[in-house]
Order: sequence, then structure tokens, then C-alpha cells
Amino acid sequence: MGVDLSVDVFGIKFRNPIILASGPVGFGFELMPYLDFSNVGAITLKTVTLKPREGNPPPRLVDSHGGVINSIGLQNPGIEGFVEEIAPRLKELKTIKIGSIAGFSMDEWEILGEEMDKIKEIKIIELNLSCPNVKGKRRWVEDAELTQKVVKIARKLTNKPIIAKLAPDVTDIVEIAKTAVDAGADGLAIGNGIQAMRIDVETGLPVLKLKTGGLGGPAIKPITLAKVFKTREALDVPIIGIGGIMNWQDAIEHAMAGASLLGLGTAVMVDPEAPVRIIEGIEAFLERKKIESFNKIIGVAHKGGLNVH
Amino acid sequence: MLIEAELKEKKISKDYGLFTFKLYGDLENPEAGQFVMLKASDEPVLAKPFSIYSYKNRELTLFIKRVGRLTGKIFSSPIGEMFYIRGPHGNPYVDLIDGEKQYILVGGGSGIAPLNFFSELHPAMVYEKFYGFKGSYIRELFTEKEQRSLVIEEESGKTVLDVLEDVYSEEIGILACGPVPMLKNLPATSYVSLEAMMGCGIGTCKSCAVKTKKGVKLVCKNGPLFRKEEIIWEWI
Repeated sequence: MGVDLSVDVFGIKFRNPIILASGPVGFGFELMPYLDFSNVGAITLKTVTLKPREGNPPPRLVDSHGGVINSIGLQNPGIEGFVEEIAPRLKELKTIKIGSIAGFSMDEWEILGEEMDKIKEIKIIELNLSCPNVKGKRRWVEDAELTQKVVKIARKLTNKPIIAKLAPDVTDIVEIAKTAVDAGADGLAIGNGIQAMRIDVETGLPVLKLKTGGLGGPAIKPITLAKVFKTREALDVPIIGIGGIMNWQDAIEHAMAGASLLGLGTAVMVDPEAPVRIIEGIEAFLERKKIESFNKIIGVAHKGGLNVH
Repeated sequence: MLIEAELKEKKISKDYGLFTFKLYGDLENPEAGQFVMLKASDEPVLAKPFSIYSYKNRELTLFIKRVGRLTGKIFSSPIGEMFYIRGPHGNPYVDLIDGEKQYILVGGGSGIAPLNFFSELHPAMVYEKFYGFKGSYIRELFTEKEQRSLVIEEESGKTVLDVLEDVYSEEIGILACGPVPMLKNLPATSYVSLEAMMGCGIGTCKSCAVKTKKGVKLVCKNGPLFRKEEIIWEWI
């Protein structure tokens, strides 16, 4: 029996629910020798800002129990560099491309939205409203009103589906999510790294040069899972569950909580072949449970579970 | 692509050790300067980069200093413990240096690992070797012949930089790996092999950034070897 792993959301058919989350995989090209992109549902590209950014000084990454804290700081070539150097090569990645942008002002969001809209290979635009690693900047998602403004600007500029990328560590993610959807977001990515730090006890100084960073990996899975669950309860829009998905069980949990698509970050950083392993695991699970389609398990935790008797 | 690596032999002297792993898969033509990403079966989650000290017939030897959770785990693991590795990653030194020259290998601490592999693979390119350590206890890890390359501060009061001064001339190249203060004090034309906190080891995650005169580069993808004069040291 073959199971159907495809997911239809945003009017787009994804061959399976596993997508590479924005960040750890960059623009994807370096991953090509290790991963056949035709095996994954989509890639969300590294976030692009208006101006080129060299990122934060090192150390930018440190391990932590159950995960890893990073403070890369949106290193990217800027929108001009992206349009000239990266966009023409996107065809090489044989999967759906989601573009990710982050503005530092409303004007910047506007320019970024316009430019992303023009790139044919980009099918969906993700608004990174929640990067924890930009020095001196508050995250957009900490303010519902600002979140709404940004999404409204983007909505006016493009007919492509828009995803608002939210952070799990805000006062009330459901309120922010509602605001984003009211303003025109087609879907939500939940979430991003959770603000975290480590201090070197020998020196008494923060390990990361930026002092704090974003925690990802297995440690944050139960946290983002709860945010996916709560958001799904309140809203009926497609959710990309991101946070500590390291194996098929984590992926299935996120789906059951209400995520239609499942984003991998830390897992790919540790093992570039993790996506394939996780997809095979999902397939085997569905076969074992005699469930013919992945769609059937999305959100079942809200609907009486799998009806196991 | 993750290869199982079974701990087969270990030799420890205080905070340094030589660890040999039996691999259940091939490392494809590993070269000196390249590294493997090694990971424990559970915690820590993250894989860490280790330079290849030696590799022969699916036996990989690493020279490791105990510094954090993963190295602590390797030190305390019993023989037979399973780890996972992938690689080799990073550029071979021979692809980045002038092949016509001979080199003085200047190592400090665990930085001697890639230099040892270099001297195994390219003995004709080695002019001299200076491997610096603080204490005499390090001798236990090496054969008598190998010990001739050691510069031990506790014994002679000299560092590798002191002994280098006596033999260095401009026709000879320098290939160095070790702590930043040591690298910073080498002649400008030296090739220095950098260490960095890495996430992926293949150039995607942008964790191991190093600022150079040609912009921000990555230790894993563009290095690990750089010209000393190219590096903006204030950023490190």
C-alpha cells in the first residue's frame, strides 16, 4: 500500500510535508551534494534584508542541553545581491522555494516585498517577523499592531501566498497570529529560536559575542508544539510547525497538533540527510496505522485522536 | 551519510588524548586540513568538528583536548562506544598553499592534529615540526621519535614562537594551527588554520564566520586555512 504524503495548502501541492526551515540551510546550494531536493516538500531560503549584512561577530553558535543556541544575525547578500546572484540559480533546487524577508522599517518591508514578488521561482513569501538575533532591534512580533502593519504592506504588494513567521516566546502567540491572519497572511510559521544564552563560568562572560541567541533543537519541541496546538485551536489557516523536529515522531506530533507542513532546522544542521530519514519514518508510520494520507493526521489531537480502539 | 564510528583505542594524558575509531564506512580520500563532524548518539545534539590526525583502512585517529560536553563524553567513553561521523569536510591544505615550498609546521595543543596528518601524507613538504605544549605530561602520548618535535614550555621555558625565530627564513613557508594568541604572533605570510564553533561543517549555517580583507568567510567552506595577513583579528 502506498501512502499519500502530499499536502495541498496555499493553492500549491507540496510533494510531502517536510520543508527545510529558513536559516541553517542558507540558500540551499551547499546542501545539494548531500540532499536530493526533489525529496523534500519545499525550502525556505535564508532571510534577505535590504542591505547586505555580514552577521554578528563570532562565536555565533554554542551547544546547550537538548539543543543549540545561535546568533548568526541574518548574514545575507542583501536584496540586490539576492536578485543578481542567487535568484538566477534557484532553478537548480528541484523543489518549491519559499522566499524569506526581514525589513527594519516599513519602507524596507515594502521594497523587499516588491522585489520578492518579481522573482518567478519564489512561490511563497515568508515574513520573518521574529529573528531573535538582530542587535538593538525588538522583534516585530512582540507588537500586534506592528505585525499587522507589516503584513498589510506585504498583502498589498503581492498575490503570492504570505506566511508570517512568529516567535513562540511572546506574551500571547494566538493574539499575534490572529492579527497577522486578519491583515492578510495566508499561513503561519510557528516558530523561531527562543531567546537563550550561556555564560562561561571560567571567564564569567557570555559565550556568544552577541550575548544572547536563539535556542533550537529538541529542547524547544514541546514548547513550539503547544504554540502550534493553541494557534490551531483558534485559527483555521495552514501552519508550518518548526521547532525541534529531529525524527519522524516529532514530525507526527507537530502534524497532530495542527501543522500542515513541518520545518526542519537543527536536524539538517546535524545531519544533512535527516529530511529523507524523517519522510521515510512518516511513511512507515502511516502504513503501520493503515492511514492512506498524511492529511488525515493533521490536527487529529483536536478531533479525538486517531480513533484507536 | 552519517558513518558509525566505534571507539577502538584511547590513550589519555590528563586533558589530552589520542582516540582511534573503527569506521563502518569509508571517508573518501581525506586530506590534511580536512575535518570530520563527530556526534554522540544522544547528547550533545550538535556535531562538532575535529581535524583528522591520522586515517588508514577505515581507522580514524583524532587528537583531542577535553574542553566541553562532547569531548568530555569521548574521554569518559568505554572502548566499543558508538559515535557518528561525517566528512571529510573543509579544504585540503595542499589546495590552498604553494606546492613548491617546504613548510615549518607550527602547532599548539590540539592544533597539532591536522599538522600530523600533513606530515604523514606529504613528508617531502615538511622542513621542520614544532609542536608546542605547556606540560611534560604530554610526552606519554607520543613515541620517542615523535617527541623530538615537541616544544614543552615547562621544560625549556620556550614556546614554539621562540624556537621558530631561530630557524625561520623567508624561503620557508609556515603552516600553523593552534590557539589564536600563537597564530597572531606568526609572520604575516604564514598560513594559519583556524578553529571555530561550527553547526553544519558544509557552509550552510554561517556559524563559523571569520572576517577577512575580502569580506566575511566561513572556516568550514572557505578554510580552514587562511593567510595570516588576510584575517581581521579584531573580529575573532
